[in-house]
Amino acid sequence: MMEERMEDMVKRKILVVDDEINVCKSIRQAITKEEYDVDMALSGEEALQMDKEKLYDLVITDLMMPGISGVELLTSIKINRPEVIVILVTGYPTIKTAVQSVKLGAFDYIPKPFTPDELRSLVSRAFREAAGKGIETEKTPSPVIPEGLYLMRGHTWLRKEEEHMATIGIVYDFFKNLERITRIELTPENKTIIQGEVCARITDAEGHIHRIWSPASGRIARINKTIEEDINLLKKDPYGRGWLLQIVAPELEKDIEGLVAS
Amino acid sequence: MKFKRYLDKFLNLPLRHKFILSFLAVISLGGLLTLTFGTRLEHRTIISLAQAKVQHDLASAWMVYNEKLSDIRDIVRINSSRESVQNSLKTNDRETLLKYLGRVRKEFNLDVLSLTDSQGKIIFRTSQPDLWGDEQDHDPLVLRALKGEIVSSTQIIPREDLVKENKNLAVQAYLDIIPTPKAAPSLKKHEEDGMMLKAAAPLIDEDYRIIGVLYGGILLNRDYEIVDRVKEIVFKGEKYKGREIGTATIFQHDLRISTNVKKENGERAIGTRVSQEVNQAVLKEGKPWIHRAFVVNAWYISAYEPIKNIDGGIIGILYVGMLEKPYIDLRNKVMITFTGIAVLCVIILLVILFFITSTIIRPLQNMVFATNKIARGDMNHKVDISFQDEVGQLAQSFNQMTDALKIANQKLILWGKTLEKRVEERTKELKDMQDSMIQSEKMASLGKIAAGVAHEINNPLTSILINTHLMMEKTSKESPFQENLNMISEETSRCSDIVKGLLEFARQNPPQKSYVDINEIVNTVIGILEKQVTLKNIQIFKKLEKKLPLIGVDASKIKQVFWNLIINAAEAMPQGGTLMISSRLSRSEQFIEVECLDTGVGISDEQKKKLFDPFFTTKGGGTGLGLAVSYGIIEQHHGRIDVKSQLSQGSSFTVSLPVKGT
Repeated sequence: MMEERMEDMVKRKILVVDDEINVCKSIRQAITKEEYDVDMALSGEEALQMDKEKLYDLVITDLMMPGISGVELLTSIKINRPEVIVILVTGYPTIKTAVQSVKLGAFDYIPKPFTPDELRSLVSRAFREAAGKGIETEKTPSPVIPEGLYLMRGHTWLRKEEEHMATIGIVYDFFKNLERITRIELTPENKTIIQGEVCARITDAEGHIHRIWSPASGRIARINKTIEEDINLLKKDPYGRGWLLQIVAPELEKDIEGLVAS
Repeated sequence: MKFKRYLDKFLNLPLRHKFILSFLAVISLGGLLTLTFGTRLEHRTIISLAQAKVQHDLASAWMVYNEKLSDIRDIVRINSSRESVQNSLKTNDRETLLKYLGRVRKEFNLDVLSLTDSQGKIIFRTSQPDLWGDEQDHDPLVLRALKGEIVSSTQIIPREDLVKENKNLAVQAYLDIIPTPKAAPSLKKHEEDGMMLKAAAPLIDEDYRIIGVLYGGILLNRDYEIVDRVKEIVFKGEKYKGREIGTATIFQHDLRISTNVKKENGERAIGTRVSQEVNQAVLKEGKPWIHRAFVVNAWYISAYEPIKNIDGGIIGILYVGMLEKPYIDLRNKVMITFTGIAVLCVIILLVILFFITSTIIRPLQNMVFATNKIARGDMNHKVDISFQDEVGQLAQSFNQMTDALKIANQKLILWGKTLEKRVEERTKELKDMQDSMIQSEKMASLGKIAAGVAHEINNPLTSILINTHLMMEKTSKESPFQENLNMISEETSRCSDIVKGLLEFARQNPPQKSYVDINEIVNTVIGILEKQVTLKNIQIFKKLEKKLPLIGVDASKIKQVFWNLIINAAEAMPQGGTLMISSRLSRSEQFIEVECLDTGVGISDEQKKKLFDPFFTTKGGGTGLGLAVSYGIIEQHHGRIDVKSQLSQGSSFTVSLPVKGT
């Protein structure tokens, strides 16, 4: 509660960047809160100009824009101010770019189209993380990420099993700034999932639904039924018993290129 | 024209006939020529031989003739020099002389023996003693004898002289002239004069005075002694078929007065005349004439020579002739023999020819027979090789040719069969290719449109979704608008899903190719999927051809294709079944084919058309992109996917990838 009060005093500055005015407006409306000061920019150039003046806390930018693209905007801002949170809005064709942009320092991405709630969950999670980073001490230290995992930073991990099989789970950091998880919804067996797309949805105590991006494409061979029974395993043993799915991934090597090795 | 027609007719004859006719023509021509020239030559030889003989015979005849003449001369000479005769003449003792000389005449068979005085006045004629005292000085022989010569010669004696000597002589000399064809024209109806061999000698006394002349002679008319003697001496009386071979004749001028040439009735042909031709040559020109001549009624090879009197005047002809018939018969015999030999030769030749042509023609006929058989399709027929001559070699070559033909024919038949099959296959391939081209074009344009539309549609969808949700938030939960807004939200999400599908299909990166073993990829995919729940009730068989060439493909993409195919096959067999995966090199060796054959539910023709269209699915939960994406991948590799299927029997998907990547 103390934190919130402090935030009251300084309004969070958010910049929405999209070359389509309607999208911009919609996004602004979706996230407008009293504590947020939301501005709009219709191009990357304009966004950079505005950021110089106002020094935004969070930039939500479309990936594909004429002129300076979302990724260029991300890198330009991050060079001077690495603390800025950048969320990329992406269309389906650029989802690989989005996955890779996480490597470049984007907090997360959100594929079009999305609901206001989905965006709000993401924004709130982003601010929580930013806030969390500021807190020196944690109640429990983050468990060490075992070696040999491939990470979609802040989201999921992937472990290569025997040929073309891979196990997928959620990294500990994802849960760090979330309230208690109340529900998990996994994509059923035999369905095909694609890298960067949803492979699971988790709901926290606040009712926010968070989409979990799959680190690789493949056909779901097995789902972890245990976590549906004991949902706490997700946070307790994120790299062990808390795994989500096992997939058969024919293009595993290619998918791994977009990930970061632990 | 006519000749050409005959030539054509000849050339169209069977070979044997042609052979035989040609040989026959040559032989006939040769034979004919030989016969003609041979017989002519032979004839000439025989005739000239005969002529030489007849010439010789004529000489013999002259000898007989002259001998007779010299006999008379001897009688006259001896008696004229007899002392008793001279004494009796001196004493004019006619009685004694007549007695003595009369006896001499009879003894020596003379027709005439007379004595003149030194003036040429007849003292007496032994043949007619009653008539004497007339002058005999017109007689050239007597005149010459009065000058002291002993002379002999053939003389023409006028009728009055004959009558003086003896009436009988005139009768003997008288001849009716028988009209003779070919004789010189003459008005004379009969001959009254006679022709006589005559000699005269002077009687010379002791004082060498000529006191008288003794002359004697033989009348030749109807006297056949000489001619018959000639016949006897020269021809030895030989006869040929009832005819005398040799004949002799003495002519008085051109009239036969003594001859042994017989008429048809067997009488001697006296009274007939010599031909005008001979008349001209011998009597007028005084030349001998040796030739073939038609004498009375037959051909003779004859020789004529003139008979001259004491003054050298031509008064008659001596003739010798040989019957030509024996020579002609000889010639004919030779000719017949000749011809016979020729004919025999021809016959022998024909027989030989027949056998030779048979040996030549029979193999040829066999060959013709064989050719016909082969033409009718019997390739197994063989020609017998009888000899190693040209025909034999031909037969051998022919057999070889037949063998080659047989093989070629078999090949052709086989080829025809495979051709049919190939055409069928090729037609099918073409049709498939056409189908796949239509499909690929459809896909290409669809992909382009999809990419463009998907991108553009995402932005409005985002706005719609956000604003719908914002409205939902602002409207009370009980509001009836909630349901509508919810519907908008859901439908918007569905739009988004559709767009996502489109983009998934459209998003095809260029393949990153490396050389791989297709079998390895197939094995990997099967290895992964075997453990899957989906493939639990399915038996998988592999029939992979070893030693396939490595091909340049994007391994991960191709893997995805096999993946999709196998998953699809498995899903087509929910109750389990058999899955056969085979790889092979195409017949053309230009493609590697991987076939995925299941025993599943199969695909209807209707479904087959849309099989590769994006979002087409027969499964409840499918995205409908698996095959579309697979299709796109194989397309990028310049390959093909072919589908064969039968409802409730199963389906076969065959992926063909080019061995040489383009």
